[in-house]
Amino acid sequence: MKEQHIASAFDRDLEAIQARIMKMGGLVEAAILEAAQSLEDRDEERAETVRAGDRAIDELEEMINEDCARLIALRSPTAIDLRIVLSVMKIAGNLERIGDYAKNMAKRTGVLIQMSPIEGSHAALRRMAREVQLMLKDALDAYIRRDAALAADVIQRDRDIDQMYNALFREFLTFMLEDPRNITACMHLHFMAKNNERMGDHVTSIAEQVIYLVSGVKPDENRPKGDKTSVDPSIAPTMAYADTDEDD
Amino acid sequence: MYDSPKTGTAVDQKDIKITARKVQVYYGDTHAIKDVDVQIEDKTVTAFIGPSGCGKSTFLRCINRMNDTIDICRVEGDILLDGEDIYDKRVDPVQLRAKVGMVFQKPNPFPKSIYDNIAYGPRIHGLAKNKAELDEIVEKSLRRGAIWNEVKDRLHAPGTGLSGGQQQRLCIARAVATEPEVLLMDEPCSALDPIATGQVEELIDELRENFSVVIVTHSMQQAARVSQKTAFFHLGNLVEYGETSQIFTNPKDPRTESYITGRIG
Repeated sequence: MKEQHIASAFDRDLEAIQARIMKMGGLVEAAILEAAQSLEDRDEERAETVRAGDRAIDELEEMINEDCARLIALRSPTAIDLRIVLSVMKIAGNLERIGDYAKNMAKRTGVLIQMSPIEGSHAALRRMAREVQLMLKDALDAYIRRDAALAADVIQRDRDIDQMYNALFREFLTFMLEDPRNITACMHLHFMAKNNERMGDHVTSIAEQVIYLVSGVKPDENRPKGDKTSVDPSIAPTMAYADTDEDD
Repeated sequence: MYDSPKTGTAVDQKDIKITARKVQVYYGDTHAIKDVDVQIEDKTVTAFIGPSGCGKSTFLRCINRMNDTIDICRVEGDILLDGEDIYDKRVDPVQLRAKVGMVFQKPNPFPKSIYDNIAYGPRIHGLAKNKAELDEIVEKSLRRGAIWNEVKDRLHAPGTGLSGGQQQRLCIARAVATEPEVLLMDEPCSALDPIATGQVEELIDELRENFSVVIVTHSMQQAARVSQKTAFFHLGNLVEYGETSQIFTNPKDPRTESYITGRIG
């Protein structure tokens, strides 16, 4: 919708809310990368910055919710305007959750730095986080450009994240079976992998909001589900119950 | 296991009350309504929205031949009420208007008592055999107009002495007194305050039980609140017609989108 509202203040309000979402998205993207990098570099100070930075993300979500409530009360948005407000509120919620996962990764980094590193795991986690961050960047670009095709592509890419998680799940299991002294570190690393996998799901949800925003209809629920650890005992014969909390 | 009766589809499948086919309206040389095709459902509130001069009131007035009273106005195409052409030569416009009632923008009670305002239509159409029956019709109509409790003790006071909101409900009661099948409302709330508007909107929702209601409104919020179907008119064309919830969340035509979101279209 390139046309302007007759009430130009309405346009300004909508633009201000969307600018906040973009700012929030930028902070969350940085938090993901920094959390993974601080683990690889064993940099406690960097991890602490990520933990402290979550507050700003939470505050932005609060502000966005207040802005949206005000806009609904004062302007009664309809059609595309209504879909903008609804999608902004959901995206803000997703970003806030992703921020929490990044913060949780940074917390575990603080613990892991005290232990001897598990070979190869840190780089693998960083690659996974990098993938999630790129998906998030594309999802937010798709939002700004109202690009449903790019959003659909992001949804497809969640499968790659799920596969990376499956691979790490197996790897950590192997380390733990080899030497029980690895268990503590591997448990933390596994949760970090799971955090990344959950972030991917939230990014997927953002991409779905973009499709709803552009087309007015929710995409079909046929997106790829690549996390098989909770349903396929062959992946983890001795620990089939390892992942029971969330199903996607 | 027995399936429960499929009431859902029975409710959704409304009968068609009014069918318009290729309706054109001309005021002299001005082509005011262009090729309008629409099917209006029974026991449904249908809202006509659109900018001033888009033809929504003109089209509304075609449905009970109010445009007959304008000399330079010419109507072409078919408008069917229950499958019968209302512009057929054998149709008496007065009888038609008893079936298709109308409520106007400004409340316009007759300069008579509240009682006579309601009794006028039933009297000229011979709907009551005696005084008792007429009393019954007056009470029933005033109750349907959601104004009975406010006027029952002063039925013989002049209708013009009521407040604006009460006058409008009196006019709605007057319109339903002849047992119409369709009720046309041309901006019925534009002269009312928010409380009276709320009462009239509540009334419209109740009237839907028995009538097919067509309402012209400039308030998009009102159209969204009271109607189940919405038709958007622009420059004499019917641009989009559909479920109200669809029109207001996901309109198909960019002109509808521009209008309902308050953009310059």
